[in-house]
Amino acid sequence: MIYHVRHTSQVTYGTPVDLARFAIRLKPAPWRGQALLDYRMEVAPAPSRIVEGFGPFHVNSTLVSIDEPLEELTVTSEFRVELSPVAVPADDGMTVAETRAEALRVGELGDFAPAPYLFGSRIVALEPEIGRWAEPILDSGAGVLAAVKALCVEIHRAFAYEPGVTASDTPPIEAFRARHGVCQDFAHVMIAALRAHGIPAAYVSGYLRTEPPPGQPKLIGADAMHAWVNAWCGPAIGWVAIDPTNDRLADEDYVTVGMGRDYADIAPVDGVFVGSPVHEVATAVDVTPEGEDRGQGATAAA
Amino acid sequence: MSTEGAIADVDLFGLDPNASPLALYAPDRSRGDIYADAPAAVARKWDSFARAISASSGIEDYLRRHVEDLGLGYRLTGDEQERPWPLNPMPVIIGADEWQRLEDGLIQRAELLERVIADIYGPQRLVTDGHLPAPVVTGSRDFTRKMVGVPPPAGRYLHVYGVDLARGPTGEWRVLADRVRLSFGIGYALENRIALSRGTGSLLPSIGARRLADFFDAMRRGIASTCAREDPRIALLTPGRFNQAYPEQAHLARYLGFALVEGRDLLVQDSKLFVRTIAGLKRVDALWRWINARNLDPLAFDSRSEIGVPDLFSAWADGGLVTANWPGAGVIEARAMSAFLPRLAEVLFGEPLMLPNLSTWWCGQEWERDYVAANLDTLMVSSAFREPVEGLEDGRTRPGSGFTGAAREALLQAMARRPMDYTGQEVIRIGTTPCWTGAHFEPRGFTIRTFLARDEDGRWRMMPGGLARLSQAGELRTPLMGEGDLSADVCVVDEVPGANVAQAHTPSSPAIRRAAKILPSQAADNLFWLGRYSERAQMTARVVRALLSASSMQSAQQVSETVPDRLARLLARWGVIETAEGTPEELAAAALGDVERCGSLAGMVDNVRQIARLLRDRLFADSWRVINRPMPGFLPLDSDSMADAAERVMERFATLSGITAESMSRTAAWRFLDMGVRLERASLSLQATLEMVPGSASADDLTSLLDLFDCHYLYRNRYLAIPFIAPALDMVLLDPDQPRGLAFQVQQLADHIAALPTLRANGMPEPPMRAVRQIAARIAALDAEELDHDALEELLEQVLALSDAIAKRYFLQREPQAGRADKPSIQ
Repeated sequence: MIYHVRHTSQVTYGTPVDLARFAIRLKPAPWRGQALLDYRMEVAPAPSRIVEGFGPFHVNSTLVSIDEPLEELTVTSEFRVELSPVAVPADDGMTVAETRAEALRVGELGDFAPAPYLFGSRIVALEPEIGRWAEPILDSGAGVLAAVKALCVEIHRAFAYEPGVTASDTPPIEAFRARHGVCQDFAHVMIAALRAHGIPAAYVSGYLRTEPPPGQPKLIGADAMHAWVNAWCGPAIGWVAIDPTNDRLADEDYVTVGMGRDYADIAPVDGVFVGSPVHEVATAVDVTPEGEDRGQGATAAA
Repeated sequence: MSTEGAIADVDLFGLDPNASPLALYAPDRSRGDIYADAPAAVARKWDSFARAISASSGIEDYLRRHVEDLGLGYRLTGDEQERPWPLNPMPVIIGADEWQRLEDGLIQRAELLERVIADIYGPQRLVTDGHLPAPVVTGSRDFTRKMVGVPPPAGRYLHVYGVDLARGPTGEWRVLADRVRLSFGIGYALENRIALSRGTGSLLPSIGARRLADFFDAMRRGIASTCAREDPRIALLTPGRFNQAYPEQAHLARYLGFALVEGRDLLVQDSKLFVRTIAGLKRVDALWRWINARNLDPLAFDSRSEIGVPDLFSAWADGGLVTANWPGAGVIEARAMSAFLPRLAEVLFGEPLMLPNLSTWWCGQEWERDYVAANLDTLMVSSAFREPVEGLEDGRTRPGSGFTGAAREALLQAMARRPMDYTGQEVIRIGTTPCWTGAHFEPRGFTIRTFLARDEDGRWRMMPGGLARLSQAGELRTPLMGEGDLSADVCVVDEVPGANVAQAHTPSSPAIRRAAKILPSQAADNLFWLGRYSERAQMTARVVRALLSASSMQSAQQVSETVPDRLARLLARWGVIETAEGTPEELAAAALGDVERCGSLAGMVDNVRQIARLLRDRLFADSWRVINRPMPGFLPLDSDSMADAAERVMERFATLSGITAESMSRTAAWRFLDMGVRLERASLSLQATLEMVPGSASADDLTSLLDLFDCHYLYRNRYLAIPFIAPALDMVLLDPDQPRGLAFQVQQLADHIAALPTLRANGMPEPPMRAVRQIAARIAALDAEELDHDALEELLEQVLALSDAIAKRYFLQREPQAGRADKPSIQ
């Protein structure tokens, strides 16, 4: 399946910003089962400097400087991507305890190694409270793949999807205690729970198709950028992409942009804007299978 | 080491009838004591130092004064005010042999750390080959992923290496912690030595203590020689004055001749780092950073950082910026890392570690975790990466035996869930050193922090000394100084006189230079405001005194009743008091003492201290001492007491002006300080005139005005009559020979601006110059008879416009204007 993705973010500032230097992380990073066919990014007003880069986690990062006073910033990211199904390996019977031990043993530091995703990160601090809550599910003797799926079910069941009650830097413990939030909070809570038990877990962001295939319900998160979780299930199975917001494995309907320890590592836009706080952000995302009619683009204001 | 022999020597010495005060010193010998274990030749040096200390009365007070002079202070987390630095007069004296063994071991260790860091940020072979588990690297918050594959200039990840050491019962030394992120303590070690040598005269040379200066010199050469440019500019990057270590950083910058800068002083352009100065952007070749890696660049690392420099990363990746130490080096500080260093030494060097660190077991490995769990009672339990973890919520090390019952169960369960977060460490008994209590010597447990730095050839040199921490509790904890701790100097002495290796290296005289130091825009800004506030404070004190004296004269019917009213209105205009309603005494009390109002004299005195703090590296100790005094106390509503307080403030600022005028070198820094004074004085003279002479004025009003500007006697001599408006105003505002008058200030301002660097190549005057010339021309053309209200207001507006022009041209033009709560608007 080939998807056409168009993402526009419009940031309005209260008063003009003197100096804007920021990173844009919207170009999909290389990903299994996903081929980027073309890519275009547009920044208005035109930046004085653009430097393409990658990392420090698995994400493309474009460094942009705008020297003239800035009142409104528009970033448009548009691309076509071909997705092919990736089989989830069968459960190999690996337990939580075995996975934990294996994760400590893998002698790699790369983007897909387990070690970088084992510890607390900027937004996802280690929270024993979340760990205790997940204890019955992530029992040491439980099979890890089943446990990860069960955790996904539990979060989906126990948490209310409520836009507007949390922000991009809300610590997972707050969303956890209130049992509500958006896709980002669901993902952060799940990551915190897995790491509390020594299971490497990463934050993945990307897109879902805007309109569901005929006869299927529209997925939550299709109107904006979406976020889900990559859980490491041992050296054989590796990373399993799973979406606690919609309680399902992230399959070929999920377009991946990047992966980091939490939102902060792969935030779509962040940086230094001297002079004024952000006044308003408007985001429009449109993900259409190629050949189908382009929708009008859903609009969400954060 | 021949401990046996050493003990015998000391015992014999102890029987000497002319015994030193240390003869009665009775440490617990099973713990190990550095004096009791010392070889005879070194013990004699202890004795002579101890004799001198116990013979001199009040050495503590003397030292305390030197410590104050140095502006030495420290804060524990949560402290608002700095605490005085507790320096014990008795140094820890270590013989050259013992020190040499430490030095050999630590140089080996520094090389090892460098190699490990270079591998982690380079080929990562230690991890892929299985010598170093990946989580030991990724568990550290200082592992800076973005720096992988970004090698430092000359391949030097480390320039400065700090290490904490403890001496055990048998005299063996152990490494407690490695410090490569930030060099906390290095300045205190230096300042302790300066204070001690000032406080004890020739005592240190007499025992042959090696000097520290060569070490700092070598460190500076080491950083400089790594830079691409011949005469590099090195800056010390501070998190700012709210940082606990700010006094240390300011002193070091001053001592080493580095520019003290904050993130907002710096700017990256085309991968090169620049400092904003009054003469435009100046290239910076090297940074000694006192900011954690993750806060150094909000673009590359944590975007929430407000103390970093956006895009500094590109200066490392492409700009050849030398940085001590390279961002990410801190990854080797983790306790988990110490568990692997002995093995890594074998792997990388094929030899064992000469100097052991605390034996450490990282629980991320199964065997180690089982060992720690099984031996919990005899081990210390610590957080592997110094983060708060379950069971160790404060991140501090605790004895395993302290976990009992449910707490132990919970700890073991947490260790099963996340074993990689824990390390077990051996329990060591730390040895003691003699500590002077004021009456006698007592044994105190001690640890030492010392430093190594690379010289220009890249070789490691060790500071011949360090900072000793004498602990009250005998506990080992991470902060530099804990509650109740004392510090002491560490002296390395040569046992054989004349074998002082420090003298083998004769430093050559530096090339003579004058005022080569740059003036960052922010420092210029602060100097200017220090000048303005000092002057405003001094003038406020004058008005308060005048108000009190007018009030007492008025009650004796000796002065027109308009005088106190007008003086009060002047104070209200300046924001010193809220309202001019009330008796003069009530108003004076509010003007002096209402700390809530930042415009009050107390508020201003405090403000001056705050700004002076930012300039600690530029002010003389004498100036600093004058400024650092709190507002004098007074009895509210008691005229005499209040007048006395006002007078003391006046005297204090007069002293400060005197020091500035007589001792401050005529650099741009002095010009900005003086410009602040002049500009404030110009503005105040106009405001005072507007309030004291609102159209009409009695002779008393005019006398009071002349008094405020020290012109009264001159007026009487010149005119031999009571004051009239035009001649009085001429004297205060237009006469260019009155050093407190407006015309004189404007002339001085013009001279300063003319002497400052210009950014224009075409010879055209910059806006401040044009603004000051306009005022000067206006004053020159004015006749005192024309000085009505409108003319005064117009002049005042011009003076304030000049202030703005100066700020716009020379100071930082970023948002600090809005966020600068410490500089409320005064006009």
